[in-house]
Amino acid sequence: MSGQPNLLEKIVAFVDERVGLKTIQAKMLNEPVPGGSRWAYVFGSVLLFIFIMQAVTGILLMFYYVPSADHAYASTQYIIHEVDYGWFLLSYHFWGSSAMVVMVFAHMSQVFLWGAYKSPREMIWLVGLALFGIVMAFGFTGYLLPWDQRAYWATTVGVEIMDKTPIVGDFMARFLKGGATPGQMTLSRFFVIHVMILPAMLMGLAGLHIFLFRKAGPAGPFRGTADELKAKTDYFFPRQVWKDMVAMAAVFVTICSLAFIEPVVLLEEATPDPGDYHPEPEWYFLFLFQLLRLKIFSGEFGQFLGAIAIPGAFMALLAALPFIDRNPERNIFKRPVALIGWILVMTGILVFTVSAIINREFLD
Amino acid sequence: MHQPRLKSKVRCTDREVGEITHVIVDPLSREVSHIVVGGNGAAGRQVPMSEVQSVAENLVQLRSASSALAQFPPLKRDEFVTTHEVEIAHLEDHLHVEAGEVLVPLPSLERNVPRRTFFTNLTHAIGALVALPMAFPVLKYLMKPMYSPFDNAWLKIGNVSRIKADDVGVQFKYKKKVKEAFMPEAEVDKNVWILKASPAVLEDVYKGKDMEFHDQNGQLVWTNKKDVPYVVFSGKCPHLGCGYKWRKVPKLGKEIFLCPCHLSIYDPAGKVLDGPAPRPLDPLPIRVDAGGNIQIIDMEFKAGTKAQTRIV
Repeated sequence: MSGQPNLLEKIVAFVDERVGLKTIQAKMLNEPVPGGSRWAYVFGSVLLFIFIMQAVTGILLMFYYVPSADHAYASTQYIIHEVDYGWFLLSYHFWGSSAMVVMVFAHMSQVFLWGAYKSPREMIWLVGLALFGIVMAFGFTGYLLPWDQRAYWATTVGVEIMDKTPIVGDFMARFLKGGATPGQMTLSRFFVIHVMILPAMLMGLAGLHIFLFRKAGPAGPFRGTADELKAKTDYFFPRQVWKDMVAMAAVFVTICSLAFIEPVVLLEEATPDPGDYHPEPEWYFLFLFQLLRLKIFSGEFGQFLGAIAIPGAFMALLAALPFIDRNPERNIFKRPVALIGWILVMTGILVFTVSAIINREFLD
Repeated sequence: MHQPRLKSKVRCTDREVGEITHVIVDPLSREVSHIVVGGNGAAGRQVPMSEVQSVAENLVQLRSASSALAQFPPLKRDEFVTTHEVEIAHLEDHLHVEAGEVLVPLPSLERNVPRRTFFTNLTHAIGALVALPMAFPVLKYLMKPMYSPFDNAWLKIGNVSRIKADDVGVQFKYKKKVKEAFMPEAEVDKNVWILKASPAVLEDVYKGKDMEFHDQNGQLVWTNKKDVPYVVFSGKCPHLGCGYKWRKVPKLGKEIFLCPCHLSIYDPAGKVLDGPAPRPLDPLPIRVDAGGNIQIIDMEFKAGTKAQTRIV
């Protein structure tokens, strides 16, 4: 009976006839990559992988975590010290968030350097910027949930910074905190934002991001004639998928290793008296934190400048980028302003982050 | 020039050679690159578009003679995929290769265009009718804990006997009971800095005037007399709300208040010596009884502003 389909094949054929699985699968995998697959293109897929793992570990953490001011700290300690592998899942979630931020920077840099934000891909870039904001908001809201001193003070200072927005700042800060000072209401709000609102926004916008990407098609390399590109073109599957898988595995091993080497340890339970603790945000906000130590950002206006105006103007510049930069040239070596700008921003972030770390010693 | 259509007859210079069986598209330019000429059971030949002289409604004229057709490579079907199986962005904007437009009749009930517009508008109106009445309740629901009355209770926080020297910041830690919304009453740790001020420092703090503290409706709550030497500063840094410390700074050769967050430095009178803080430290209401017991009102002020705005 070799010619007869078996039961499994019959089921697959039944579903395929009604859903069109094979067509969908073919459409997903047969995406022409102009100029061929590259390691430089892995970051988007890696981000999707990290997000899925954050969702999985985050859901698992919620089995024990209680978002209340009198139980958040104890339940997190319980996850770390009592629940089997709780320390690992929590540490994976913690380091996963850092990996997310690193990969977002890598992804944005790649798109920027390759000139892939240019027409007709402006919308993909804009949605990507919104996703960047969501990733940072994830980091900020998630940081409060363990309810230790580090969490409490990062939130206190972070929300005070938001408070400096003209006109709506006070309302926004009180709205987020659920009052004048951080407390139970803040924890409830950050929790619902972190586990419901941001994931929903991220899933929706990431879907739109990928949809727009598939609609415009990959930009491909920034040099090479049409014939050269055509000769090297392959499909998303299997070569690019293979490269993506290797990158995901490398990121997975790195996050696991960090979770083992440097597992999450909580400080004292959150309270409005910092004791000996020197408040500091998570490392990817350090440069902003250090920026606000500068003399030019002192006083009420200086603070507005450093905390709101400059970061806001920078984000606005990024959003306007594809509309300002209408030159179709994509080769980064023929775009000196873009190249120097990127180097300056990255160096600036690096210098401010390192000086914030050096400053720690001066404080102890 | 028209785009070649499937099933069109194909003519060479001398005679008709068959019909178009496939159309091949370049995925990068998204233009038709080849037509496949076949029919009569013969294997199709891939003819590049450069060989096509003209395209009429149902006829494609080639430049070459029928004898030259054999030089074009035969179609190897497994070297190609259909456009159903591959995603070519904006393919439909470039290609019109269908044998003809595919039409479906609009149901006769749907042909009244003004009515369709009316229903579109009605849908939006009903959507707005559902959303608008929700907006205010939802906003009020979320705003419930945002503004609460100030707490003007006096708290006992310690005794002045702990203060050994003038103009030296001494930290007093205390527990404050908080009752937030539905939560059981809880205690949080707080701290203030108290110093016994020398006349010069006292003058710096009070500038020769009594200091008044008000409730949110502007009502006077308490007045710190300018000649009471005990000064209490809120433990919250007026820059961005961190907790500051009393520190010896070797470079300055004296002791000052230092906030480790953004490195604001204040003198014993709370005046900003260096760093980003926009205003001096915030004095709080203090009263000291005959036995030296200190009581304060635990107020908080908005950080980061030049003006002092009470928020707790």
